[in-house]
Amino acid sequence: MSLSKQGSTKLLRISEILYMLLAVLSFYLLIASRTGEARTVWQVLHPAFIPTLFVTTSLLLTILFSSEKTTHKMLLIIVHSILLHSFFPIIFPAGDLSGQQTVLGQTRRVFDNTILHGLSGWPTRTLQIFIVEMFRGTNLQAALSTIFARMLSIDIFHVHLFLVPVLWGTFVPVASFLTTKALGGDDKASVLSSLLVSAFPYPTYFGAISVPNSLGFIFFFYSLYFMLKHLSSNNSRTAYFMVAFSFFSFLAHSLTGIISFSLLLLALAFKSYKSEKAPSSITSKASLAISFLFCVSLLPLSFIYLRFLNPAYHTIFTLDKFYELPPEEIAGLFLIGELTYGFDPKTILLVITGSTFALLYMIYLLHKLKKNSTTEFRIHFSFLFASFLIILIDYRILKLFMDGLPLNEERLWVFRDFIAVPFVALAIYAVISPIKAFLKAKSPPTITITSLKTLSKSNVLRVITLLSTLNVLIPAVLGGWITFSLSAAYPQVAPLQTTWYELEAVKYIEENTQEKYVVIGDVWTIYAGEMIVGIYNPQAYYFGEQDSRGISLFTEMRRDPSPQVMIEAMNQTGTDTTVAYFIVTEPRLGVEEFNSTVSKTLQNGLPVYATFGNEKLYIFYYEK
Amino acid sequence: MKWTPHFKNIEKLIAQDNPFAFTVVSLLISCMIYLNNVYVKSPIIGTVTFLFFFSINTIFLEHVFFEKEDVFFRLMFGVLLLIMLLGFVGWLIMIIYNLDAPKFTLVLFIVSTLSSLLNRRMKHKNVT
Repeated sequence: MSLSKQGSTKLLRISEILYMLLAVLSFYLLIASRTGEARTVWQVLHPAFIPTLFVTTSLLLTILFSSEKTTHKMLLIIVHSILLHSFFPIIFPAGDLSGQQTVLGQTRRVFDNTILHGLSGWPTRTLQIFIVEMFRGTNLQAALSTIFARMLSIDIFHVHLFLVPVLWGTFVPVASFLTTKALGGDDKASVLSSLLVSAFPYPTYFGAISVPNSLGFIFFFYSLYFMLKHLSSNNSRTAYFMVAFSFFSFLAHSLTGIISFSLLLLALAFKSYKSEKAPSSITSKASLAISFLFCVSLLPLSFIYLRFLNPAYHTIFTLDKFYELPPEEIAGLFLIGELTYGFDPKTILLVITGSTFALLYMIYLLHKLKKNSTTEFRIHFSFLFASFLIILIDYRILKLFMDGLPLNEERLWVFRDFIAVPFVALAIYAVISPIKAFLKAKSPPTITITSLKTLSKSNVLRVITLLSTLNVLIPAVLGGWITFSLSAAYPQVAPLQTTWYELEAVKYIEENTQEKYVVIGDVWTIYAGEMIVGIYNPQAYYFGEQDSRGISLFTEMRRDPSPQVMIEAMNQTGTDTTVAYFIVTEPRLGVEEFNSTVSKTLQNGLPVYATFGNEKLYIFYYEK
Repeated sequence: MKWTPHFKNIEKLIAQDNPFAFTVVSLLISCMIYLNNVYVKSPIIGTVTFLFFFSINTIFLEHVFFEKEDVFFRLMFGVLLLIMLLGFVGWLIMIIYNLDAPKFTLVLFIVSTLSSLLNRRMKHKNVT
């Protein structure tokens, strides 16, 4: 090995060790930020965390642009990706206050064996409903979390909170790498794309919460990779994997499944178009256009057809928004969707920059390749461009022409961003490559002070400028982008997250009650309760967070706390429940209402069972 | 230190699975996971057995489907396939009845056996 090569390897090892130390420090700072009472991660993040993360990310990017082995780079990216997606489970005691807590409530029932035949139970009202419920993503996630929890002998609570951040952090960068590679990108561009996926706010958010949709996105990304491979290969194994990953994407979540199958059909149409003897004929182009329209229509129509399987869904096509909303709001929704409502320009910019950049680069590439129809990856670019358009069109259809959707349309942005990532990486690398080529040509094998002396002054300046651009400026800009994107990925405004004393209160009740019991509390108490004992557990009954019975019982208790309401709650459980608890929390109700409710409850003779959080939380009880 | 050749040797040894030695080890580990889950409840034992179970079955699966890929990506695919297989069999058994400790162990048995059989099939394919 030459001396210069030895020197650069040594420098690389030092950079890697430094990176690992910084990554450990970042994890430490994240753990140091852990709190039992906060609304957003931004309120409590250690002040040194963001600067440390910025330096760590920039250093990682410098390593990515070096000649280090791809495997080593990928391992570092996985560590980094897990760090970026672990804010919620590390900082908050119960992760993000959202659907993931309800999913844990449902999973807990499987883990504790309080339910048979999956989360819908059996018998359900009709066979159609059973089929719909059986294929709901919560089932797959519940099965996976339960298996991991039992294998590791760890409570499902911790396994659930870290399931998606770890799986996402590990597998999404790999999928991004493979997809970019399948588009003809070299190793360095592909590695860059695997880190850049964290610069997109929507994917980062979904990678941080443990919900079935997030699992579905992971499988979708792999199905997309196998679709690209299938376009240039006749290997039956690739086709099997394409179908298998699409199926798993469906099993994890219907949205990701339908999009996977839509794109799978599109991939087959492109493949058939490619194999046509005369691909430029009108018939082949028309059949491709019809396939495209069919694939566009699959997602909106599937929401309509869902009504035939389960009457609870009531999605319809409508023009109501055009009649009800002012034109500027319609235009805003059409262009930037939900971001039109009160988001600051910085967030809007962070959300749309990457995908707009990717769209422009896609158009540029297609235009460039138009003249050369024999180019190997032309069909791949065309397929991804068409897929990108499908997502853009479907989003607008769902947003403007449909009502009563069972999910938020903004989730479609994750698909858009997954398709965009490889193009952003390819574009950035297209800018970097000439600089690298120039530096390589000027200095065999690397630039040294002595070789600089042989160059003219202007050339020295040029080389130094390019070197600092490559090793400092570009990593700093990209590192800044990734770090800054987190401010759009993790919410800036949120309700108070599940607090430590809410969790302690529900644990205390569970540990100290032998009889069957029911808990009357606000929606936040229900979130905490279902995470510990499961949702609708007959032994420890919490009403679902959207159950009107639970809501009205809590309202009644706030108005007139009495044993009668608690007896009514026991009767509502449908089992021989003999104990009822009533929980009130000061930060949820406000000081005035909290004090008034506590004093009314005491006046009405209901004894205090326990208090938590310096009397911020009161538990009252009544026994039959 | 270059770890790739060492890993390749271990991978070869496990993938050869002569005479079903690693399949038996995998099944024994499944039993250990069950005993730990029901009686001992130690996360340390759980983590160790988890790593052994995953190592053996990941190698079986990646050897079947991704033999030509680079080591790192081969392993990643193997782990992902194993997770998918565990998820699918677990989902199926949960829908059929439930996922209590014995049924969960049944999931591990089925996944181990399937991975081993697929690996065998691949081995025979390569010989013939």
